[in-house]
Amino acid sequence: MPLSEAEKTFILHGVDENFRQDGRDREAYRPMELETGTVQHAFGSAHLRLANTDVLVAVKLEIDAPFPETPHEGKLEFFVDCSANATPDFEGRGGEDLAVELANTLASAYQSRQAFDLRKMCILKGKKCWKLYVDILILECGGNLFDATSLAIKAALHNTQIPKIKAVNIDGDNIEIEVSDSVSDCEKINIENAPVLVTLCKIGQHCIVDPSLSEEQCTVGSMVVAATKNCVSTISLLGSGSLHQDTLFQFLDFGCKIANRLNEALMETLANISVTNENVGFLK
Amino acid sequence: MPLDHKRLNGPEESVPYELFLRHKQETVEIKTLDEVTKDSDISREHPKIYLKTGTVSQAKGSAYIEIGETKIIVTVFDPKEIPNKQDYSLKGEISCEFKYAPFSCTKRRLHQQDNEEKRNSLIMKKALESAVCLHEIPNFQVAIHSLVLQNDGSALSGAIIAAGVALAEAGVPMFDIITSMTLEICRSNEIDSLRKMTGQIQVAGEKSHYGTIIISKLHANEQICQVHQTGFIPGDQLKNYITVLSKSCDSIAAIVKKCLLKEVVNHIK
Repeated sequence: MPLSEAEKTFILHGVDENFRQDGRDREAYRPMELETGTVQHAFGSAHLRLANTDVLVAVKLEIDAPFPETPHEGKLEFFVDCSANATPDFEGRGGEDLAVELANTLASAYQSRQAFDLRKMCILKGKKCWKLYVDILILECGGNLFDATSLAIKAALHNTQIPKIKAVNIDGDNIEIEVSDSVSDCEKINIENAPVLVTLCKIGQHCIVDPSLSEEQCTVGSMVVAATKNCVSTISLLGSGSLHQDTLFQFLDFGCKIANRLNEALMETLANISVTNENVGFLK
Repeated sequence: MPLDHKRLNGPEESVPYELFLRHKQETVEIKTLDEVTKDSDISREHPKIYLKTGTVSQAKGSAYIEIGETKIIVTVFDPKEIPNKQDYSLKGEISCEFKYAPFSCTKRRLHQQDNEEKRNSLIMKKALESAVCLHEIPNFQVAIHSLVLQNDGSALSGAIIAAGVALAEAGVPMFDIITSMTLEICRSNEIDSLRKMTGQIQVAGEKSHYGTIIISKLHANEQICQVHQTGFIPGDQLKNYITVLSKSCDSIAAIVKKCLLKEVVNHIK
């Protein structure tokens, strides 16, 4: 829904006053609801609702052969599905560009070893490894997809249980893998350093986080920062528009600060979630 | 992915032979950013560039660029109406295609665009969108094709610089000259000679921080129109790297200006 000039000016003035449309200040996120383990057939899953944005992430595991270039590492693959339920714009092939962009950004954010160590996913060097398929389903689109997905992915990876390997039998070229019989005999993935994405928007002279759909229309430039613990693993400008170098640096600092805060909040929530373990599902 | 069976696709899986080399390759030493800035004026530091316009006679505008050993051809065709569009759009569109030739990299590329090429097309498109006056070409689409003939680093940056020049030659209205540069931060100060890239700036990272940064810049107002970074770099160091890149873009702008001037002079003659 396009906005009129007057509406845009209203939003711009609100940001100037540090009091946005919905009463937030510039650094505040909208309320979020997070649930893990919602999908039964997945090895790990999470469902995140950020105001009107709804994202479901499921992790599937398969045994695969590692790439010859990286015989010590497992594989990680992101797939984003923008279903037409989310917004009518996604009908047909409408969501494809966004899906590719989102998947690429996530892949480059998780690419580095310090961020996510794929060496733990190796079973037998050069022969067998775990392949993680991270499937992201966008159920409803209410702005700020990047942040919501990255949080949901981190939660889903936290929830993921990798079955323990009991024995690996090598007979010539034949490799047999014995997986532990007990369902509960699983390993967790270390997601301590997994990055969270923060979308920053420039409205007027200021920079805001977590833009709503209408605020996204007023931005002159926006940028995604993927960061953990003051280290940046990906930055990318979104859409067209350019920034001055000083603004860019300001964005970077702001993004790192917000990412740290978001990360702390998420880790704390994830630590609590496993204690209560109360399933709510989509119907409440 | 469905394969094109009319083409020779090669074996389904192949492995670069370099992985099986028994002896360790020679290593090349790489300096850290501090050392480089101490030794010389890094603002002048960028790989050797050769830039030429009008290389493809069939296209409206075209350019050929060499950065180090990297070689790229970019063509721009006449604006045509945006296909499959019902309503009139006030702004024009740019469509970018970034393609590696099958023989351009150490590993053979397929004819179809893979994910990396798609990503690069998207980055290129976003960078060029802020350089072109899209409001001057309403309801029209400009198609830009870039083909990498040899990749030795900076392929995407080279494609963006050449596309800027080719657009200017094609007479597409633009705001500004666009330049771009790539910087790679290596894991240690000694790398395999196979990984030495002549096309991009390479520096050694501190404490095994590493990554790649690509920026592109519009010069009149010092605007950075695209940044893309991968790897793992502390926020404050990242700023130093971007500053260096931005300076080296400034010196490339002079080359681009010279090339355009030559083109105009030739045109008048």
